[in-house]
Amino acid sequence: MDRNKLGKWLQSPGKMGQKYSLHALYFCTGCGIIEIPPTITARWDAERFGVIPVATPRQANLFLITGYVSVKTLRPIIRSYEQMPEPKFTVGFGSCPINGGMYWDSYNTIKHLDKYIPIDGWIAGCMPRPEAVFVAVTHLWTLIDKGMADGYKKYREDYHYYRENQEKILGKLEWPPLFSSKKM
Amino acid sequence: MRELELYFGPQHLGMVGNFSITLNVEGDRIVKATANPGFLHRGFEKLMEQRTWIQNFPLVCRINVVEPDHMELIYAMAVEKLAGIEVPERAQFIRSIYLELARVGSHLFGLWAYANMLGFDTVANWAMYHRDLVLDLFEEITGGRVYHIYIWPGGVRRDFPKGFKDKIINTLHTIGSCVPDYDDTFFNNRIFYKRSKDIGKITHEEAKRMGAVGQVLRATGMKQDIRKIEPYAAYDQVDWEIPVRTGGDAYSRIWVVRDEMIESVRMILKLLDKMPEGEVYNKIPNPFKWNIPDNEAYVRCESSRGELGLYLVSNGENKPYRAHFRTPSYNHGLTILEKALENESIADVGNIMISLYITAPEIDR
Amino acid sequence: MNHTGTSLKENLLSYFDDILVEISDEHRLTISCKKDSVITILSSLNRNGYNHLALISCVDWIKDNELELVYIISAYTEDSEKGKMNILVKTKIAREKPELLTVMSIYENAEPYERELHELYGINFKGHPRLIPLLLEREYEIPPFRKDFDTRKYVQDVFDKIPFVEDKKGRK
Repeated sequence: MDRNKLGKWLQSPGKMGQKYSLHALYFCTGCGIIEIPPTITARWDAERFGVIPVATPRQANLFLITGYVSVKTLRPIIRSYEQMPEPKFTVGFGSCPINGGMYWDSYNTIKHLDKYIPIDGWIAGCMPRPEAVFVAVTHLWTLIDKGMADGYKKYREDYHYYRENQEKILGKLEWPPLFSSKKM
Repeated sequence: MRELELYFGPQHLGMVGNFSITLNVEGDRIVKATANPGFLHRGFEKLMEQRTWIQNFPLVCRINVVEPDHMELIYAMAVEKLAGIEVPERAQFIRSIYLELARVGSHLFGLWAYANMLGFDTVANWAMYHRDLVLDLFEEITGGRVYHIYIWPGGVRRDFPKGFKDKIINTLHTIGSCVPDYDDTFFNNRIFYKRSKDIGKITHEEAKRMGAVGQVLRATGMKQDIRKIEPYAAYDQVDWEIPVRTGGDAYSRIWVVRDEMIESVRMILKLLDKMPEGEVYNKIPNPFKWNIPDNEAYVRCESSRGELGLYLVSNGENKPYRAHFRTPSYNHGLTILEKALENESIADVGNIMISLYITAPEIDR
Repeated sequence: MNHTGTSLKENLLSYFDDILVEISDEHRLTISCKKDSVITILSSLNRNGYNHLALISCVDWIKDNELELVYIISAYTEDSEKGKMNILVKTKIAREKPELLTVMSIYENAEPYERELHELYGINFKGHPRLIPLLLEREYEIPPFRKDFDTRKYVQDVFDKIPFVEDKKGRK
């Protein structure tokens, strides 16, 4: 923890602000949500790490995708992700968004979530413990420091690839493209 | 006044779980509500047809994340019935204690959701902390906080460790000694009364007509509980009462949940006293070559939300031919919710949803 | 053998002639009937106090080219013998263009069950007020819960064919 290092704060205050005030979007995408209430309440207290849940995507900069993503949930996930202001970070929670997990042969779940939106980090396991969230958060701090948590930049750059993949699953999307495409 | 269509959820602070409701509103009043489930549909019953009888255990417990143990039990019960496996006496007691602990945990989670929704953050924090104490017990037996896979056809996977009985008693005393605090701050609080009295009211006749079970039915004054009607595990070995209220509104439902939690705690203490010694599992055949004869079974148990059923068909192979779960939230979330929301205000949607005790994964499966 | 089950069996056999009733377990009564008599049997059960529809399920017997519908009925009662009873009403219909009358007029909570079976098995329930999609987002050629729908092949054809964004960039 380098909270007391004033010099570092002064070097890049913006980065420090992003690091220590992660506003997690309150969106129960899957069964991983069961470990979020213990994480944010008294016993484990995620606020020690600056993580606090917020109500709407417009206020959030951390998207914890908690558990498997069904085809029907993918649409609100994309919408919520696109509504979040930059810089934004996404963390996949649990085995299922990584490669399908135990639903690898299900006809209605998305197998690799990073084909549709960029993901900055993964927490493996089913169910990951609350400590795993904190490990992920501290790891995300390192990534932000090094400028490696750049999923939102990738999304802007490769938007037409992502949009193409999204439309393959969901059909024609009803909202206009977020970014104007460079080469489509 | 003009009628508007309002989309409530799945990303909404007042929504529990990944569920969505379309509301037709006139000003603040809801004219019509349409439930829109399916955000968590994984096709469990189809996946179960492709896995062997034992491979299905990790799968079934994930159907309802809040109370995975009842899902394990119902599947184990159905397999036992199809294959004709007996369960030893001690395992029956362990199952009952284990399931009642799960019920306490699940009700504390429900209390967290309800208190949090009403703005009682202190009570919500207490409830979540006490649930964590129950999860610590599970962790000690099985190694997992949420998913355990502890109940097995023919018994349970292993016996309680040494000194575990005292740990259960300690934890229950910790929770039980806080009940007066819960009562003072929450249950006897005027704010709770005013926010929930006569909200989401369902009469006894309506509840029966629309297939209500569990707390929703018991809050309308009917003593119905599968643990009493069709006793499984060791529920017929001890005396216990079914808590009942007559209001039929959110207030009565939450009080039933509270009373049930206390009754569960009492029941565990009684079960621990009576627990016999002996084996905890009967041997099952080699799981890789286990073919179950051509038959079908419908079994039911009382989960913490109401009547849970499983219709299981075997055609003599090493996999189930068809499985269909009858989950309590299904009727609560799709039929009763739409009725209960009519003529209520938008601010009470979360209130009614949580008091009906709906979990979305159970509906979608 | 319990008394409630046998008396109910005699009662039913005296009213209906083309049904098959068997007490399979201690408290499980199985009634097999033709598809046209489902409504009359269910309404007579409802009049007899078996007023709780627990489940409507469907089994795809692909070898016989038939779909079997199973209505599971129990009772809201404080009478312990009656409360234990579970009645399974079974009927078989053809797999091609399956059609059946809705039972919503008897049991109101049949609505979501029938909607689900319409979606997952492609059964058309006549008289149902809203047979709109319940759970699924994508459309499937074969309703996904039928036995001839191969999920593993579907996953390979749809989800696995979508490329990773990094791979795509690398190729360009």
